[in-house]
Order: sequence, then C-alpha cells, then structure tokens
Amino acid sequence: MREGLAIDAVTRRFGDRLALDGVSFEVRPGRVTGLVGANGAGKTTTMRIIMGVLAADSGEVRLGAQPVGLPLRRRFGYMPEERGLYPKMKVVDQLVYLGRIHGLDGATARTRAEALLDALGLAERRTDVLSTLSLGNQQRVQVAAALLHDPVLLVLDEPFSGLDPLAVDLVSERLRERADAGVPVLFSSHQLELVERLCDDVVIISAGMVAAAGEAHALRRAGTGRRLRVVVTPPHRDARDGGGSSRPLLDPLEVELARVAGVTAVGVDGDAFTVDLDAGADAQVVLATALRHGAVDEFGAIVPTLAEIFREVVR
Amino acid sequence: MIAGRRDPARARGARPGIGHDPRARGTVAVVARREIAVTLHDRAFLGSTVVMLLVVALAVAIPAFIQGRTPRLTVAVRGSAAQQVVGAATTLGADAQKSSSASVFGVGQLPGAAITTRPVESTAEAERLVRDGTVSAAVIGDDVRTLQVIAAGAVPDALGSLVEAASAQLQVSAAAADAGLTSSQLRAMLNPTPPTTVLLEGTARGPVPPELLVVVFAFLFSLSVLTFGVSIAQSVVEEKRSRVVELLVAVVPVRWLLAGKVVGNTALAVGQIVLLLGVGILGAAVTGRADAVGQLLVGSGWFLVFFLLGFVLLACLWAVAGSLVSRIEELQSTTVVMQVLVLLPFVAALFATEPGIVQTTLSYLPLTAPLLMPERVILGDAAAWEPVVSALLVLVFAALSVGLGARLYEGSVLHTSSRLKVRQAWRGEGA
Repeated sequence: MREGLAIDAVTRRFGDRLALDGVSFEVRPGRVTGLVGANGAGKTTTMRIIMGVLAADSGEVRLGAQPVGLPLRRRFGYMPEERGLYPKMKVVDQLVYLGRIHGLDGATARTRAEALLDALGLAERRTDVLSTLSLGNQQRVQVAAALLHDPVLLVLDEPFSGLDPLAVDLVSERLRERADAGVPVLFSSHQLELVERLCDDVVIISAGMVAAAGEAHALRRAGTGRRLRVVVTPPHRDARDGGGSSRPLLDPLEVELARVAGVTAVGVDGDAFTVDLDAGADAQVVLATALRHGAVDEFGAIVPTLAEIFREVVR
Repeated sequence: MIAGRRDPARARGARPGIGHDPRARGTVAVVARREIAVTLHDRAFLGSTVVMLLVVALAVAIPAFIQGRTPRLTVAVRGSAAQQVVGAATTLGADAQKSSSASVFGVGQLPGAAITTRPVESTAEAERLVRDGTVSAAVIGDDVRTLQVIAAGAVPDALGSLVEAASAQLQVSAAAADAGLTSSQLRAMLNPTPPTTVLLEGTARGPVPPELLVVVFAFLFSLSVLTFGVSIAQSVVEEKRSRVVELLVAVVPVRWLLAGKVVGNTALAVGQIVLLLGVGILGAAVTGRADAVGQLLVGSGWFLVFFLLGFVLLACLWAVAGSLVSRIEELQSTTVVMQVLVLLPFVAALFATEPGIVQTTLSYLPLTAPLLMPERVILGDAAAWEPVVSALLVLVFAALSVGLGARLYEGSVLHTSSRLKVRQAWRGEGA
C-alpha cells in the first residue's frame, strides 16, 4: 500500500496578506482528491508549498510519516498552474529531458515518453516542436511530463483547463489509473461537475482556510444540513371543473410546515415544497403534516450538487 | 503571484553544493547536455561559428595569397642594352620570387615577378604594343645609360624596381670592369653586407606582430563571452517565461541548474575557441608560416587557460542578468551592465598593445588578464611565474563571482512577475 499525503496546519503569508491559514487535509492513497475554491482562495499556493516551490511559514507536509524534502519530491509528479515546457524543444526530447531530471536513465525515459504520448493520443506529434502544437495538445504533453517518472504522488494544478471533452476523458482515465495503482492524486479545478464526477474526496478551500473536506458523497449529504422535497396533491382538486390552480388549497400547508419544530425554511414551487430542516427536526412530522393536506406524491431528501455546496460553504 | 521565500530545507540541501549528492553530477550533466543540444541546433550559433571560421581562414589565407601572387609581365624590348637589362631584371625578379616564399613578410626586398621578353623591330611597334595592352611596358635603347622605359599610364611597380636595379647593376659592373676590379671586389660592391644589430634590452620577437596578437585574443574572448553570455541569459529567461523553472526547482536544487547552464555553455565556448585557434594554427602551418606555429601554440595554451577562467568569471553573472527579469524584452536592461563588463576590458586592451606598465598592470586585473597575459607570454615579456599568479587571481575572482551569481540567481529565478533589483535578489525576495 502506498502512503498518503498529509498537509498539516500550513500557514503562509505574502506580505500583509494571509494566503493560507492553518490549512490541513489529507490526500489518501488510491484516491482522487479534488481541491476546489474560488480564485485567490489558496489552491495554487497550497500546491506550490507541497512541491517546495514556495516555503510554508509554519506547518508541515508529510508523505506517510516522512516530512517531504527534495529527494522525496523528485518522485512526485507536478503540473504547475502556468504550465512549464520549453516551447522550442521537440515533444519527445522535452519529456526525455524532464524524465532524466527526475532521475530516469535515458532509455527508460524515452520508452515511457513514447508510451505516454501514445496513450494520450499524441504519437504522431512526438517529433514536433512543442510551440507548433495546439494549446490543448501542449496540455496533454504537460500531463505526460507529470506522469513520466511513475510518481508516488500526483499534484496537478488545473489539469483540465483548456481541454476538449475527449481530452478530458483521456486525462481523467490516466489519473484514475494512477489512483487505482495506489497513488494519491490531488488536482484543483474550477469545473465542479468534473470534480464531482472524478473525485473520491473533495477539499473546499476558502480564503486560505479549509471550509470543508471529506468524501465527495458524504460531503454532499452533510453539506447543507437536510433538505426535503415534498409534492402534495390537494384532495378536492379532481372534483373541481377544469382543474385550475390548487394553490389556495395548499397555502395552509405552507403555513403549517413553517411551524413544524426544526424547519428553518420552506420554499414553494407549484405543488412542490422544499423544506430545510435543522439537526433537531423530525422528517416524519413533516410527512404527517403534508398528509393532512392531501395525497403525498413525492417525499424525499434532496442531495445537493457540489456546486451548491461550494456556494454554500464559501459564502 | 510567486513572490515569497524558497523552501529553507531545499536551500540547506543545496548549500553544500555539487559533489555531496551522488545525483548532482548526473543532473548537472543532463542540464548541461540540454544547453549544448539546444545551442547546436540554433541556426544563429551555427551561422556565427561558420562566419568566425571564415574570418580566421581568410585572415590566414589573404596575406599568403597576396605574397604568393607574382605579377606576370610581358616586356617589349628593342636594342642590345635593353635586352641585357631586361634579361638581368628577369633573373632578379625570379630570385626575389623564390626567396619571398621562405620569409613571412618580404619587406625591403626586390619584388618577385615573372618577366617575358618580346623583341620588337622599332620604337613605333613597341609603342603600339604598349597602347593596345599586349605588353606591360617596353624597354628601348642600345646604350645602358640612355635606356627608355615606355608604358601606357604608369610603369608597373615591380617592373620599375627590377629594371632600375638591373640597370644599376649593369652600370656598376661595367664601371668596375673599367676600373679593373676583381670579381670578388665586384661582388662585395653589389651585395654589401648589412650591419649586425645588437639589442641590449630587446628579446627575441616572433614573426607575428604583437599588436595583432592582442587584437586577435581580445576579439576572440570578448566576442565569445558576449555571444554565450547573451545565450545563457536568454536561456534563463526562457525557463522563467515558460515556467519550466517551476517544474525544475521542484526536483533539482537551483544551484545545480545554474551549474548545468554554466558548464554546458562553457564547454561550447571553449570548443568553439579551440576550433578557431586550431584552424588558425593549421592555416599558418599550411601557408608556409611554420615558424609562427610554435609561438602560436604556446600562446594559445595560455589563452585557453585564461579564456576558461575569464568565461566562468562572467557566466554566472550573465545567468543573474537573465534571472532578474521575466521577459526577453526586459533583458536589455540588465545585460547592458554585462556588455560594459566585456567591452570596457576590450577597449582597454586595445590601448595597451605596447609593453609597459599599463599593459603589465592590466594583465593582472581579472577582466583584462585573459586579453593581455597570453600575449605577454608569447612575446616573452612575462616571467614564468607571472601567468600563473595572474591565472590564480582570475580563479579567485571567478570563485567569488560564481558564489555571488549563485546567490542572486537563487534569489530571483522563481520571481516571474516583474523586474527585480539586485538588492532584492540578494535578500531572496524574489523567490
């Protein structure tokens, strides 16, 4: 079993601005962890500190029990936010060079570079000069550079920005492969649907602090407390001529629901009610209340999307 | 935004420098090889090398070509004295031609020429041949004292001198015969022995003029440092601009990167200089200036030593010139200082081509020593210990400059947003 990465109470200042304030979270082995946050929240600073490009003012970064230093970082795979490749070098030469910097011998570096370019759909561009590739293809090369030396940890800053949907799939497959092999994978992204689809764990960072962290689905369930959706058909509706609005019949329900103990908010959209509950509320009381006003067609918990949680926690 | 300090653990790890980590040498070599490969694929570099080689080849070939070129002259002749004089001139011209190929600079001797005679019947015919260009000139006369040389615009220089000398010789020997001198007395008159020169404070000088040596060495050194210096600075900015540097410093101590760049470019620069010197020396050997070869070899050996030290002295500072800025367009603002550091010694050396206190002093100053000390060694102006001491001085300054350069580079290479001041880089504010 490979070891996980722990970021422990990392703080970092830029002049007067506190960029990171006691940031702690884990990137578990074999799992893909998404780091999300608004612009300037501290995602890139966190990643740069993990990679040693920046120093932390206090706090520690460990892989397993071992504090991360240069010899260990040599085995990390990193994709910086602003990218980093030589524009005038040939794609394959570039990868071989970076592989050798990471300690591979020339032959191994070449074999792996060619295999990766193949896997990322760039086989026929391998002797092209990097700057002649489209930005999306340069990005794929960048991904290859991060994967080349079979890293024990992957740190990728916005790896999907600028990729077309096919490339997103190719790259996310590669990341999933590495995670399945037991490597902890950390990436940041603004594309929350993508994070939701790809990540096992999520860390939400806001104004230099971890606002929420944990397994993606648990986070979604716990994120905003509990929210119910209730759809009710009032009893006399069918008896009326030509249907018409059932609203006046349901107005008392809205009033009554709001009075139920523990209900914090009630939203109405036609026949559908959205009921937010606090920790002490009993959902069964809500159901019983609804039943007194008509037939309950739908009753269930709403799982918020990551985007909704994100908006909630960074507010 | 990348402002801020570097990882102190890394800085500590890098401080002991290369040699303590078994990976250091290999990594530096990988970085150096990339620098070399990139430069060798650079058309501008290849082009400038070819041009420099051509300049050296021409510098060797042109004097040899000029000296080796013998004017071919056809001279119309009428009259017995004319025939005699032109005959003697032909012999003199041919002799001069043979002897000039053996000496480097055939100054003060008769010019070489290949003269063909063409007998004519009349002065009118001679004039016609001169006018239509069939002959270079005509010599007419039966009496050696009333000889006439006819030419169109001007008498060719070589012919004029040869005919003059021949006529003088004939007149002298005629006069000598009239006076009843012996043949050995006659020879003494015609080939007087020049006085022997004894120089009390002079030293043996080689056939290559000293001013030329200073200019050649100063030019080679300055040009090479400028070319490769700019290339180092550009390579640093390129890595900063493309952010490759962020990938690199995550895995390699900054000093290793700097070392790789300096080693790679130094190897290339020395290689280029060896090639140029080799072509020059080979050229000197081939064109019959063998006596200059030994002198050039000794001088070139010392030149290489000083070149290497002087190059390293400046190379790290060129890297700093690159790391202080973030874009190629800003490079001019920092490299101008470096250009002054290269050009000022160059100009100083040109003003100190003559041996003297100025030249001796400059040959010990780290920035001018590479330009002047090799020449002093070649000319024998310097005692055996002098180049050694001077080289050690340059070495000490090179070590200081490498230390300074490494610190400034470390303090600025991760700063990618604006131009840094040297003081900020020294305090590490840019990383």
